[in-house]
Amino acid sequence: MNKIAIAGKGGSGKTTISGILARVLARGGRPVWAIDADTSPNLALTLGVPRDRLGELRSMPRSILQEQTDEAGKRRMVLGMPPAEVAASYGIPTPDGPTLLLMGTVDHAGAG
Amino acid sequence: MRQLLGGMLGENQVVTVVDMEAGLEHLSRGTDRHVDTLLVVMEPYYKALETARRCAELGRELGIARVFGVANKLRGPEDTAAVRTYAAAHGLRLVGEVPFDEGVSQAERVGQAPSAAPETPAARAIGDLATTLHAEGALP
Repeated sequence: MNKIAIAGKGGSGKTTISGILARVLARGGRPVWAIDADTSPNLALTLGVPRDRLGELRSMPRSILQEQTDEAGKRRMVLGMPPAEVAASYGIPTPDGPTLLLMGTVDHAGAG
Repeated sequence: MRQLLGGMLGENQVVTVVDMEAGLEHLSRGTDRHVDTLLVVMEPYYKALETARRCAELGRELGIARVFGVANKLRGPEDTAAVRTYAAAHGLRLVGEVPFDEGVSQAERVGQAPSAAPETPAARAIGDLATTLHAEGALP
């Protein structure tokens, strides 16, 4: 009961609502991960990451996924480390407290 | 990205807010299936409302526990009424009504973060949204 996705038409204000909601919740004392799953990411700006730092931000690498075979012999990709460790390694701290995770461009990087 | 998002959403000790890609594709691919609340943003004009309705339908088909509407960029009572009427007609519960906020537009024009200070109109409405989400069981 703590995983919220925000969807809508382009230009409807999805990113603004996502960003301000993440900031409001973090300021209220909750630990918050703000995940940018848009292929043209701009949540960073809404979270208050300075414009001159945007160029340094990198998407989470696909290499943190590992192939796993379940009991039925079905192969699937799972995280190779606990999510909290991923967030600590690849998350970007933002001024009001949310940790930003960029994954919108992951599909376009690397194999598979 | 679906697997990566699914993996990160396995963490229960934090609140995760996911800004999805614009449009419907992520929902038809099932990218959103691991969230427990879907907010669809409803700007008061027909095409945005139609997209929101389709997002809500697909979200329900994915089995997301809570699918809610959030009105945005409301410039007056007519906009508010239009979104409320549309949401009611399509069985979509509105959990937030965010007014048009000149400060947000201004920030977008110059490429800065909008103020999230509690006294700004958008942040105040989004604070109310958080309270409602908590009451609905969507937030700890």
